[in-house]
Parts: sequence; C-alpha cells; structure tokens
Amino acid sequence: MLLPYLLVGSTLFVLGLVGFVTRRNLIIVFLCTELMFHGIIVNLVAFGRYPLHGAPTLDGQILALFLLTVAAAEAALGLALVTLLFRYRGTLDAGAWTELKEE
Amino acid sequence: MMTPFVLLALVTLGGIGLFLAMPGGRGAPGRAAPLLLAIAAALLIAALVRLTAGPRNAWLILLALVGAVGAVRMITHAQPVYSALYFILVAVSATGLLVLMDAGFLAAALLIIYGGAILVTYVFVIMLAQQSGGPRPYDRQAREPALGVFCGFLILSALASYITAGGAALPPPAPAGEAGIGSVANVGALLLTEYVVGVQLAGVLLLAAMVGAIAIARRKAALEEGRRHWEVG
Repeated sequence: MLLPYLLVGSTLFVLGLVGFVTRRNLIIVFLCTELMFHGIIVNLVAFGRYPLHGAPTLDGQILALFLLTVAAAEAALGLALVTLLFRYRGTLDAGAWTELKEE
Repeated sequence: MMTPFVLLALVTLGGIGLFLAMPGGRGAPGRAAPLLLAIAAALLIAALVRLTAGPRNAWLILLALVGAVGAVRMITHAQPVYSALYFILVAVSATGLLVLMDAGFLAAALLIIYGGAILVTYVFVIMLAQQSGGPRPYDRQAREPALGVFCGFLILSALASYITAGGAALPPPAPAGEAGIGSVANVGALLLTEYVVGVQLAGVLLLAAMVGAIAIARRKAALEEGRRHWEVG
C-alpha cells in the first residue's frame, strides 16, 4: 500500500514544480510551493505508516508537522515580500524584476 | 507486466495535455487538452487500481483523482483567485489521504492551517493586488511552458518507474498498532518528549518569521520613492 501514496505524492510534487517554473504571477509561484509541500507531506506520512522495515512509527507525521510550521512561516514571509514588490512596481509579473539576476 | 506501459502513456498524455492546457501553451487548445487530461486521469486510475489492494482503495483512488484534477486546474487557471480555490481542493484531498493513513491529528492540522490560515492569507493578498478588468498578460501567457512541462514530466516518469520497479520487493503492510495511530495523545506525547527541542526551535522560527513579516510590511516611505524612481527611470 506504500506505492500508490508515493505515486500520488510525486504527482502532486511534479505538478507543483511545473507550475513553479512556468507561471509568471508571483502569488501563483508561491502557491505552487505549497502544492509541492503537499506532495512531500503525503510521502512522509506514507513512509511512516508503511515503513520498509519494522513496525509503523509516528516519525513521518512529526516531520510533516514541522514541515507545516515551515510552510506557515514561508507563506507569511513570502506574501509580505510579494506585497512589497507589488507596491514597488504595481505588477505581480515575475519578469518585472529580471534586472535582479546576475549578468 | 502492464504497468510500465500504463505509466509511460500516463506521463506522455498527461504532459501533452498539461502543455496544451497551460495559459498561452498553444493559443486556443480547444477540446484537445481536456480530452488528453481525461485519458491521463483514466490511466492514473488504472495504475492506482493495479497498485492498490484492500478495502480502502476506492477512497484512495477517488482522493488521488480529486487531488490531481485540482492541482492541474490550479496551475493552468488564468485567474489567481480560482487557482487558490482549486488549491483548497488539493488540500482537502491530501487531508483525506492522511486520514486513510491513520494520521488523524495531522489531517486536522493540515486542513486548519492550509484551508483556514494560509489560503485565507493568499486570497487576501490576491484581492489586495487584483487590478480590475480580466486576467493580466502575465497570467495569460506562461513562461516556457513546453520546456517546463517536459522537464517536470521527465522527473515524474523517472520517479514513477523507480517507485513501481521495486514494488514486488516490498514487505506486506503491517497493521498500525496502538502506538502507530496518529491520534492527538500519541503525537502530543512524542512531541513533548522526544521532539521537544524541535518544538522549541519551531517556536523560534515562527517568532522570527512574524518579526520579519512585520518589518517588511512596515517599510512605506522608501516605497513611494522606489515607485517614483521606477516610473521616471
């Protein structure tokens, strides 16, 4: 029963990755990181519930709980930065900030 | 062995369908993208039916399908608000998957934190930054959709083939004993004994994030100057 959960988790992760690299709206880009977090959470809990050796443990769920904490902190900081960038340029386009990259 | 072909067809059709469905992928995709994605969803069901066994598999397949559809609609929708709403669908389906894996407390926490806190913040910011008059050009045209979808589904095909290749060697799933059930009592006891340092560190992290967010959001005077500079220059 481990395999279908891993398949679902990797599907969610890859869809989030595709959205992360292709979308240009800064808010959607951050939303796609949350989608990747969901894939990882499903994987972590699946590995804890159906371990390769031994009895099921709760370690995967604890790790996922800490991941939730990091996701909440990331959302707060990321959205604060996005609103700051929006107030600078009046647009959410990630392409408006291309001069930040190194030449 | 049928599964590799199912997975290959699933990844290929899903990738093409997703590329056609991306905003600006191929102009007017018409009916091709939904059709391809529907075939890919049917193949996903077939692959999951092959992989699952046991009484809970119908729920698993349903939740997986809802999550995949929500994720695809989320990354292809041109309206940010609808993307956020479809993400709630993904969060609900992930919650259901966690419930199936006996992780009740984590499922409740996920739904409360994502559906209740993070998504509300996202929708609030989207409303704050939303200009009137339809989707913006940067929402209607994705950046390098072909390359992004190709690389993403290359990774997915590698992951899926790796996952399914070792399936026969897996031990049969053990029933989660009393200690393996993710109830509030079990998770709480573990958090306050073995992982107590991690809980403290998480508190410090949240405090730092809060201070940082307030510090970033407070900068007002410099902002007007920056915008003037951008408009002039």
